[in-house]
Amino acid sequence: MLEIKNLHASIENKGILKGLNLKVNAGEVHAIMGPNGSGKSTLASVIAGREEYEVTEGEINYFGKEISELSPDERAREGIFLAFQYPVEIPGVSTTNFIKTAVNQVREYRGEKSLDAVSFLKVMKEKMKLVNIKQELLSRAINEGFSGGEKKRNEIFQMAMLEPKLSILDETDSGLDIDALKIVSRGVNALRSIDNATVVVTHYQRLLDYIVPDFVHVLIEGKIVKSGDKNLALELEEKGYDWIKVKN
Amino acid sequence: MLDSINITESLSREKDPKLKEIKNNIHSSLSSVFSRYKEEYKFTPFFRRIQKKYDSLSPESSKEIEPKNYEKILSSYDSLRLVIVNGTFVNKLSNLPKGLNVSSYDKLSNEEKENFLNFYTQTDDSNDDIFSSINLISHEGCVSISVNEGAFIDKKISIINIIDSALPSYFRKCIILRKNAKISFSEDFIYINPTGNFSNSVTEIFLNENSNLNYFSVQKMNSNFHFNSINVVQNKNSTSTFHTYSFTGKIIRNNLNIKLMDRNCYTNMFGFYAVKNKSLVDNHTSVDHINENSISNEHYKGVIGEGSNAVFNGKIFVRQKAQKTNAFQSNNNILLSDNAKVNTKPQLEIWADDVKCSHGCTVGQLDEEALFYLMSRGINRKDSISLLLSAFSSEITEKIEDENIRSFYQEVILNELEELNHD
Repeated sequence: MLEIKNLHASIENKGILKGLNLKVNAGEVHAIMGPNGSGKSTLASVIAGREEYEVTEGEINYFGKEISELSPDERAREGIFLAFQYPVEIPGVSTTNFIKTAVNQVREYRGEKSLDAVSFLKVMKEKMKLVNIKQELLSRAINEGFSGGEKKRNEIFQMAMLEPKLSILDETDSGLDIDALKIVSRGVNALRSIDNATVVVTHYQRLLDYIVPDFVHVLIEGKIVKSGDKNLALELEEKGYDWIKVKN
Repeated sequence: MLDSINITESLSREKDPKLKEIKNNIHSSLSSVFSRYKEEYKFTPFFRRIQKKYDSLSPESSKEIEPKNYEKILSSYDSLRLVIVNGTFVNKLSNLPKGLNVSSYDKLSNEEKENFLNFYTQTDDSNDDIFSSINLISHEGCVSISVNEGAFIDKKISIINIIDSALPSYFRKCIILRKNAKISFSEDFIYINPTGNFSNSVTEIFLNENSNLNYFSVQKMNSNFHFNSINVVQNKNSTSTFHTYSFTGKIIRNNLNIKLMDRNCYTNMFGFYAVKNKSLVDNHTSVDHINENSISNEHYKGVIGEGSNAVFNGKIFVRQKAQKTNAFQSNNNILLSDNAKVNTKPQLEIWADDVKCSHGCTVGQLDEEALFYLMSRGINRKDSISLLLSAFSSEITEKIEDENIRSFYQEVILNELEELNHD
């Protein structure tokens, strides 16, 4: 599904990713771990198409198609979803209206009929249960006045509504208490299928107790330096990142 | 520069001895009024641009109006309407509700004239603003509008001003709300020619005790010049709310001056501008708290497109006697391009000591992070920008209480933003 080859990316001429390789197949969950400043969030942003980042070398192939030149909305319509580390508050835009616009633009792109008000509401009600999000929250402006946990649940709710093929969760566990973490993880797990894939970017092993990865990659200074199964995360938790840095 | 303001022709046409005296007085003090021009029009080269076009700022001597010519234009407006062509009230084209009396000055009875003159020029800014003084000298047939005591007119009245002249057009009206009266107006200016004309409008408004006024203005002037001065005096327990929405115009200059004379006055001044097609929109407002316990609430927001300009200048005065005043003012701007410009200047002068006042302004660009967030959900760039801009404007239109009126103006603004976003 996703094949990243020798990816170099920079922001304001500062190189962050320095030759990264990653292959993700349908049905898989990958965890990207690494210390602060190693390029984890950059990787998430570059896949989603954030325009401040420049891909200077390498390729991002998604279903065999190079997507580096696609805009963020085009990538989203192709099925890429980024759950933000810091979801943005947008006063004045109602959450429901926003999600409806997004869902229908994505459906239109896929050649599906846009949802009318009634069927949209039905789908919405169904997905709301998944992350335990209340109607009242969705009638407010996007993320405005939401608590940290509500913001993250709203991200997963949007993910459920858009039904992406590739979901990237950027430090979705940051700022969550243990109960919220469970709710968010339950949502993510419920959306897992053999047709889609998830990339989980995180600092800590804790999240991986709930969203169990098939592969764990360690990202240091813009490169993946070690890959393994879920036990690698446990080992990291115990020994710290210095363990790998020293070995390299 | 002043020498070339040729308005003596209109002065000589005035026949009414009382009006002539008033006009002569202001004419003789033009040079002192003009001395303020430089400061008040710092970013708005109004005078220079208009002078280039006109040798004389005198209007045409009033010609016969053919109502038929305008019926088609008027068909898209509210059924209740007050139509003014080149400054002259046209009863034939108007449709007024009970409780609202409208007449041009020359058609008033002698007694009414005397009453009218008690208000006329009492509040206008002709001693401060050169274009107001020129209006005072040049206008013919001031429109007298009065709302009866206790009249409660719940349907909005459209004031439709039509400019059908190659020469400058002057509009002047005096609106009096008697005790306990309530009314809503919306005002439009329609240019028959799409470009290069100049209209100058001065409105004086008196709110008597317990009266309530809503006043909406939509300004789509194409490539024409427009000067608009609204001067308001409020008495005890009265409420006024202004919504000014400006979109296109070679230059639009709005003066909105409000005097809160007595206790418990309440005024709302709201504005939104979406400036495009190399237009310049200048809003100068002032609110003067003269007595205790009054509230003023001002919020102007705007989006400025490629090559366009906006100016905001808001003054709040709180006089020594005006204790327990609440005065708020805010101006927020979004520049859509490197070639868009805004000059904003909030001013606050307070002499009283027990007051709550705030003012501030912001100038920024579209929030890139918010834009990325919307786009990352599959919404295309153009629609994402539209969502953000309409959210930005909704803070102003949300203030409109009447649901139908609110959605009407939201639609108007949305269409204008859509065009701005298209460019």
